[in-house]
Amino acid sequence: MTQAMTRPLPPAAPPRRRRSWRNILVGWSFILPNFIGFALFTLVPMLAAFALAFLDWDSYSTPEWVGLENFERLWRDQNFHVALRNTLFYAAGHIPLTLAVALGLAIVLDRKIRGVQFFRTAAFFPYITSLVAVAVVWNMLFNPTAGPINQFLEAIGISDPPRWVASTDWAMPAVIITSVWRDMGYYMVLYLAGLQTIPREYYEAARVDGAGAWQRFWNVTLPCLRPTTFFVLVMLTIQSFKVLDLIVVMTDGGPGRSTLVLAQLVYREGIREGQFGYSSAIALVLFLIVLTVTVLQFRLNERRSTS
Amino acid sequence: MITSGKGGARRQAVKGLALAGALSLTLAACGSGDPEPADPNGKITLSVTVWNLAKTPEFKALFDAFQQANPNITIKPVDILADDYPEKVTTMLAGGDKTDVITMKNVTDYSRYSSRNQLLDLTDMVKSTDTSKLAGLDAFDVGGKYYALPYRQDFWLLYYNKTLLDKAGVKLPEPMTWDDYVKIAKQLTSGEGGDKVYGAYHHTWRSVVQAVSAAQTGGDQLGGDYTFFTDQYNVAKGLQDAGAVLDFGTAKSQQADYRTQFESGKTAMMPMGTWYISGILEAKEKGATDVEWGLAPMPQRPGATGVTTFGSPTAFAVNKRSEHADAAKKFVEFAASKAGAEAITKVGVVPALQTPEITEAYFGLKGMPEDELSKKAFEPDKVVLEMPVSEHTSDIDTILNEEHELIMVGDKSIADGIRSMNERVKSEVLN
Repeated sequence: MTQAMTRPLPPAAPPRRRRSWRNILVGWSFILPNFIGFALFTLVPMLAAFALAFLDWDSYSTPEWVGLENFERLWRDQNFHVALRNTLFYAAGHIPLTLAVALGLAIVLDRKIRGVQFFRTAAFFPYITSLVAVAVVWNMLFNPTAGPINQFLEAIGISDPPRWVASTDWAMPAVIITSVWRDMGYYMVLYLAGLQTIPREYYEAARVDGAGAWQRFWNVTLPCLRPTTFFVLVMLTIQSFKVLDLIVVMTDGGPGRSTLVLAQLVYREGIREGQFGYSSAIALVLFLIVLTVTVLQFRLNERRSTS
Repeated sequence: MITSGKGGARRQAVKGLALAGALSLTLAACGSGDPEPADPNGKITLSVTVWNLAKTPEFKALFDAFQQANPNITIKPVDILADDYPEKVTTMLAGGDKTDVITMKNVTDYSRYSSRNQLLDLTDMVKSTDTSKLAGLDAFDVGGKYYALPYRQDFWLLYYNKTLLDKAGVKLPEPMTWDDYVKIAKQLTSGEGGDKVYGAYHHTWRSVVQAVSAAQTGGDQLGGDYTFFTDQYNVAKGLQDAGAVLDFGTAKSQQADYRTQFESGKTAMMPMGTWYISGILEAKEKGATDVEWGLAPMPQRPGATGVTTFGSPTAFAVNKRSEHADAAKKFVEFAASKAGAEAITKVGVVPALQTPEITEAYFGLKGMPEDELSKKAFEPDKVVLEMPVSEHTSDIDTILNEEHELIMVGDKSIADGIRSMNERVKSEVLN
């Protein structure tokens, strides 16, 4: 049959055509193992979650199409507003602080000082420590009555130290401090890699021109690190908006709702209450927020690199 | 042509798959409708869902006793991780699983399963047996019908450390009011820092304040007006402000373990559920603690007659898809009967069936306190369900819990916290 179909074509054509078909098939077969996994475990669930946001489904009955009802409910849901505010608060604290601390650490540990390997490892250690252990230990440090942090604060003359995780005002800062401590090592490594790429000649030239340490940092280091900073910023933003694990272990959203975040609300409504449609709607909004912020960052980066 | 041929083959394959799927579904449907085996002497294997089998000795005690009484029935436990139990059972039932007996870990899940029509109606069985002494049965009444029978009933009472009370020369009054409790707790508090002994320990659960309050004042936790919590919050907050109980913020952030609080001998009194009895018996047996302990009835509101406390029952139900419904019913009935109660009493679990003989047997356990007050604590006049069941239970529970935290960490005054409970429950749930 194939031959019958291809016979009228010019003699040179069939092999090429066959070859191109074969090429496509070979190409597909190469990516297939990976693609099946991706499609099965990432693409399909993602699309399903997207569709679920417009359904009312409790995982055992037949899903029911409800249109935008889930989003209307979201708009009226106080818990969503609280969680959104808390997530933004967390991001506003976590992103700049982690960035600054990671950059500072990288610059300090980029010098040829004794035991630099040891200090680099030490700074990276929190990142590879079990998160639950980190949260439990920091909770002990933050103990409002007998914790070392408050004992230290009292020793230096602060008579009324914050009650940290036991107060609505200080619970989020406590979580932010813990998360900065945990993540700084990872981003420090990224910055260290970035610092290696800056040619020594730039610093030498700046020094010859009479630039001080601060000027060298401001005019050489920072601009040269821009690609790294951009990457770190995007990663940090995504990480901040989807924070869940640390908060669940440290405060579980409390006291009250003072540390309730969006990802936790997704979990609570979906897994605990079995409202998968509503939960997917929250997840979709979270996704859109992260997407918008990331696209904005890309735009800004483009504009700056062209100017 | 080739492509169309391929497509045809694919379509056929899909059709075949669909057919196979439909066939298996029909087969499954047929299976669930199968009648009982006719031979009454035939061996039957009965499957029962349980949680943490190795650490929940009541199940084994009950199964052994049942198998001894019914040699032709073998019980096959379906062990499920306790934390995942509700989700797992929900999924099993939704998927048409045929496990015969389903253990109802709490009343909320029971109401879900029964409303989805997944459990067998046991009303006839309830009506035909004497259930007057079966505590907690009311919780399973769904519009006059029963789909489960309780075998275990935990309720709250007051644990106290005899050594600490004797040392301070304190004798618990009878009956004890919350005012007495506050006074005694303050009196029993002593020491500083690491040596501090607290007059009482209140665990961080909202029930410690709210369920007690609802049971003793008759307030409705689903009603949307929580002014009736006020007195009980005054007790809890007053003790905390006086430093007579471990501060809530500390207990919560350190994930304080109530067992450790009591067994370390640093707590004089502790309101807690009866499930802890088997725990403390075991700890003493192993030598993990040497605390001398006793039981007292839950303190009451001033002017109250009798002892009112709260609790929650655990029950067995029969899966509607069970293929051995008669044997399953037999098991449910056995678990709620005297024989079942005796079996679980032996491992220190409080049975739903409450008779003087059972109480006697319970206090005959090695290590149980022997005084009269402890025995009296074991027979409260009224046990109110910890949290009533409705479609709003879970949402209201979340709100009450959040506001409870805010009151207890001192972020809101009692009045503000209660006002915000009222507003939130009304606007977010009941509207």
